[in-house]
Amino acid sequence: MNASTNTGAAKPANPKGDAGNKPLTWVLQNVVWIWLVALVVLFGLFNQFFFTVFNMQNIMVQATVLGMLGLAMCLPLLVAEIDLSIPANMGFSSAVGVIAMNSMGLPWWIGAGLGVAIATAIGFFNGLCITRLRMVSLIQTLSMMIILQGALLAMTHGRTLTELGDAYVWIGQAAVWGGWPIMPLVFVATIIGLGVVLARTVFGRCIYAVGGNPVASNSAGIRVEATKIKTYTLAGFLAGVAGFLLASWQMAITSNQGESFLLYAIAAPIIGGVSVFGGRGNVIGVLGGVLLLTVIQVGLAIISVPSFYVGMIGGLMIFIAVAIDALRVRMFG
Amino acid sequence: MSGEPSIAATLPDEVLRIEGVGKRYGNFDALKDVSFGIRRGSIHGLLGENGAGKSTLVGIISGQKTATSGHVRFNGEPIDAKDVRTMEEAGVFLVTQEPMIIDHMSAAENLMLGIWPAKRGFVRWRKLRADSAQMLAGTGIDPTQRAGSLDAVARRKLNILRAMFSGGKVIILDEPTAALTVDDRNQLFDFMRRLKAEGVTFIFISHYNDEILDICDSVSVLRDGALAGGSEDVGAMTSEQLSELVLGRGLKLFQRHQHDLGATPVAITLSNIRSAKVDLDRLDIHKGEILGFTGLPGAGAKELVRCLFGLIPTQGGSIDFHAGDGGEALPTSPGEAFKRGIAFLSDDRRRDGAVTQMAIGRNISLSSLDKVSRWGFVDRAAEAALSARYFAAMGIKAAGPEATVDSLSGGNQQKVCLGRVMATAPRLLILDEPTRGIDVGVKQDVLQIIDDLTAQGVCVIIVSTDTDELVRSADRVCVFGGGRLRRELRGTEINAEALRSIMGEA
Repeated sequence: MNASTNTGAAKPANPKGDAGNKPLTWVLQNVVWIWLVALVVLFGLFNQFFFTVFNMQNIMVQATVLGMLGLAMCLPLLVAEIDLSIPANMGFSSAVGVIAMNSMGLPWWIGAGLGVAIATAIGFFNGLCITRLRMVSLIQTLSMMIILQGALLAMTHGRTLTELGDAYVWIGQAAVWGGWPIMPLVFVATIIGLGVVLARTVFGRCIYAVGGNPVASNSAGIRVEATKIKTYTLAGFLAGVAGFLLASWQMAITSNQGESFLLYAIAAPIIGGVSVFGGRGNVIGVLGGVLLLTVIQVGLAIISVPSFYVGMIGGLMIFIAVAIDALRVRMFG
Repeated sequence: MSGEPSIAATLPDEVLRIEGVGKRYGNFDALKDVSFGIRRGSIHGLLGENGAGKSTLVGIISGQKTATSGHVRFNGEPIDAKDVRTMEEAGVFLVTQEPMIIDHMSAAENLMLGIWPAKRGFVRWRKLRADSAQMLAGTGIDPTQRAGSLDAVARRKLNILRAMFSGGKVIILDEPTAALTVDDRNQLFDFMRRLKAEGVTFIFISHYNDEILDICDSVSVLRDGALAGGSEDVGAMTSEQLSELVLGRGLKLFQRHQHDLGATPVAITLSNIRSAKVDLDRLDIHKGEILGFTGLPGAGAKELVRCLFGLIPTQGGSIDFHAGDGGEALPTSPGEAFKRGIAFLSDDRRRDGAVTQMAIGRNISLSSLDKVSRWGFVDRAAEAALSARYFAAMGIKAAGPEATVDSLSGGNQQKVCLGRVMATAPRLLILDEPTRGIDVGVKQDVLQIIDDLTAQGVCVIIVSTDTDELVRSADRVCVFGGGRLRRELRGTEINAEALRSIMGEA
């Protein structure tokens, strides 16, 4: 019991330092966005090319796949679990869809739909494992990740699938009004859709309650296991859509498709304020995290940082964002 | 009764003196100019409502917090602004509500946690075992036992012993009796008296007047951060006098008026409920009745209500709401129980009370989401109306329903949980220790809210080991033992002595 609980009512007395400092509060609450703007300005000063329309389009496209993965990843995090298999699921499911499409001569939409269906089924299976079988999500999804990565390699024999067909890759290549890509619209629609689900529906409310306190949620009559299974299934579905988009955009599926996304897909929601302990976070935060990471990646490439240093400097920038966020949590709980 | 002059004067053989101690947070005074002394080898009670400043004061005494003004003298020496380690080296230990015990270590290892006898970095196991066996002699705790398998009272004893073993001379016990049964509590009190005879001084924080009257030699009462009064002779005080000091007004203790069970129809019949620890043949609950369930841990009272709520699987049993359908099987999940009008509030608020990082209003509506939603979408207006209604009805002290639960005191958190279960409009409301760990003022509020609910015909089961609470609120008390219903007490049969003796026999 500290003094703030002592006072009973939520009086302005705040023992965690002087939170009455309005500008500082505002800065810390919006640190991801401020850091994002600061980096955009910084990169722009180094190289005017950063501000060109072409580069903006590039950033939007680059952010789309990571964004879909970030949204998928934030769902298990919100229920205080994790799903490491999401990026591997993305690569595997799209490859299965494409191989089936090519070998059986199916139309593109069946190939894409099959991939998404498989990804959804894998998410559902993960959900079953961690609820009904009480497997620890960290290890269960780690093993699933290894299985799916291995399966992708086995299916492709290390070769890259490039015969995707024009219809299949349309969404990743189409542009309107002089080069504005349409693929990011999928991301925007998903943000809005998931935002509504989380903020307005009973299912969304259950996600936050289960992540905040699963035992209390159970006593409150919420079906905790069902909520987690649904959450994993939805995450799998989003991974499948991301897989289709990535394949369509790259016009290829490599034998290690998706692997490089894992750490960024976890980092984006966390940078955006999604708590790894569950129950906290929203889609706007994820968007901020995704844009921040994408701007760092693209920006470092544009200002011609020697490739040997890109990883290190990028990591340092993420570190700063997370450190500032930790400060915020410390001051405002 | 305000014994301030006598207590402000220096006592003979004082071990601890609080001298004008104040603590300020921003522009809020958590403590204001508090002064009193504590004699060596005494048990000093510290009373006050939640938020009165008890925890802040013991935090300052134990070195976890720094006073803004004033001094704490230990054996006459000022010991201000020291950290916990310095205070522990001096001999002042705080034993918190949550026993700090590492479950997978043995009792002996826990006893010497951090001060394991060692030689060049290697733990000297033989010495550790010998020393701890000596310490634990007469406590009934086996040194080799895994701490996780110890019961609540043994864990608390272990914590107190650890404090003593580390050279504790003044031991502060923050609500040590929470979650203990009467028997365990008496055992703990005997243990404290034994240590007191060896010269250990205790500061004892409790919400319960009878505990203070039972074990304390002297008492200080805090109200709104200031010393409201105290006494060097607790034996001469009554429970009412203590309550008056705590609340600062003539407290009217809740007393339910007589409810004639013979004149009200039976509303619910439980029959043939069987599970691992429950064996109930038949129990009728009358309309608008407050039915008390009591018994020692494992006696079946807590288990039975969890069967009714679908938290414990049963081998059979039925619940009949006398709606003409002859009764139905028990619910198999809490969600189903709520839908059928059975609401339950658990005794473990920390573990499964509220979702503390969510807003108060969202906690209140959490069990009623199906009532305030359409096609899976939450109807925000309906939800806000529901939350506002129960926020007001419970008298929750907070800025508003948008504030998060973790900003509330324990008593107000309990009101939020109570609001949540009541918002489901239950036919049968089951409350497990509804007033545990909340202060005496809020306790009266909660009992009054429950009383008002029964006027609308709702049946209430209160599971409690607080005999005073049962005496004041229950129309009938069922005493459980070995999973079975052993005795039923009604009306004037319900009194503290009878309950205690029957509980022991059952």
